[in-house]
Amino acid sequence: MKPNVLAKKLGFYAMIIIVWQGLDSSDIWPDNIFPSPVDVVEDLAYGASDGSLFYGIGTSMLRLIVGLTIAIVGGTILGIFMARVETVNQTIGSLVLGLQSIPSIAWVPLAILWFGLTDSGIIFVTAIGAIFAVTINTYTGVKNIDPSYIEAARNMGAKGSQLITSILIPAAFPYMISGFKQGWAFAWRGVIGAELLFSFLGLGFLLNVGRQLNDVSQVIAVMIVIMGIGILVDGVVFKRIENKVMTRWGLR
Amino acid sequence: MGKLEARNIEKYFKHDGKPLKTLDGIDLNVQDGEFLCIVGPSGCGKSTFLRIIAGLEKPDNGEILLDGKPLSSTGPDRIMVFQEGALFPWLNVQDNVEYGLKIAGIPKEKRNEISNRYLDMMQLTQFATSFTYQLSTGMKQRVAIARALVMDPDVLLMDEPFAALDAQTRDLLLVEMQLIWQKTKKTIIFVTHNVAEAVILGTRVLVFSHRPAIIKKEFEIALPYPRTAEDIHGKNSPSYSLEILAELRPEVKK
Repeated sequence: MKPNVLAKKLGFYAMIIIVWQGLDSSDIWPDNIFPSPVDVVEDLAYGASDGSLFYGIGTSMLRLIVGLTIAIVGGTILGIFMARVETVNQTIGSLVLGLQSIPSIAWVPLAILWFGLTDSGIIFVTAIGAIFAVTINTYTGVKNIDPSYIEAARNMGAKGSQLITSILIPAAFPYMISGFKQGWAFAWRGVIGAELLFSFLGLGFLLNVGRQLNDVSQVIAVMIVIMGIGILVDGVVFKRIENKVMTRWGLR
Repeated sequence: MGKLEARNIEKYFKHDGKPLKTLDGIDLNVQDGEFLCIVGPSGCGKSTFLRIIAGLEKPDNGEILLDGKPLSSTGPDRIMVFQEGALFPWLNVQDNVEYGLKIAGIPKEKRNEISNRYLDMMQLTQFATSFTYQLSTGMKQRVAIARALVMDPDVLLMDEPFAALDAQTRDLLLVEMQLIWQKTKKTIIFVTHNVAEAVILGTRVLVFSHRPAIIKKEFEIALPYPRTAEDIHGKNSPSYSLEILAELRPEVKK
């Protein structure tokens, strides 16, 4: 990051904290509704010291990783079949577009009925929330492959699964990576949302506990953690992969 | 019997819902080790003909025989060099060149040994770990040729491989192509719209007519190799280029 961009960012966040502290000091709202930044930091420190925060992060991340992995594997396979087999596209493809429009949180009642209040239920919500974004992007990616790649590969003897792993997936990868990124965003929303309703460990659960205890600073503290993880994954993990892929594939 | 034989190849394309005849019964016999060039007006179906030989498209009529055996699909015995190279951007130069060998299940050491030989032949050794975005168009085409040669095909098919190159690079590759052909003794079928290119490279040049294409005329090019652009325009050599252009011009105007 360029120094002046960094300075702008730091200044901006410092300003938010100052305004926040100012609002708190003005005593417009009572502290149990509007906590000060110090309260929130204390809460974060407390959560960190007794380990509950890290346990919550770990639990949510694990569910996210399992759910997202299922979504990426399933979505990739489905997307490739939709792109390569017209009948699959005409039948399952139309359903995928419909299912994509269901918010992941709307799967929660079904997940509870099917899996009970278990980890599997939360993972189901996470995976199903992400899978269709992966599917659609993979589909688009495979459809947009330069046909000469496929012809050259076939010409050199590639077919079936060899063609899929050695050509279709790498050639569609720039699109697939956007699908993974979208999938991750949906999965992250899905996992937190599901944890709120399942109330069974994780960051969403900690949010709910904060609400039940009327502890606003805990609620805000957990929200900041959720946002922080989001920024980290989006801005560091995916950005790096994307940059590398874009350069390698000659897209910039 | 030739190395490769085309018998009465016909091909239709759909145009505004109606079938449009593109190839009108192409009969052809290619001898082993021949460097056959095909020229024709754009859109005449010369590339389609090459793709049919490669097995990338099916003819609506007729058949292709290799060593007397009819062919039905693609195969590593006929490898194509595409106009834009069709190199895989996610692989480096060496892995691109080894792609077909890897698909064939050849172990890594053996692959490296073969690819190193052809990388050397195409003067690509120092670019082995480069990616395609780091290469010039001419370099890319060298990689594409190396990738085809490692497969040791019976017939090398080249679909306007030098069309996107600048004049200097093309001249260089025209010289190298003759050396490669003499060194490897491959049977080559080379499609181009550039008459000079065809005369420099070919032992024989076929002129395709406007669609529906037939073989309008063929020329044996009785000039010694290696040939240069100067040679084919020399005062002492027969003016093949002019004769071929005379055949081609009315077809282009159609």
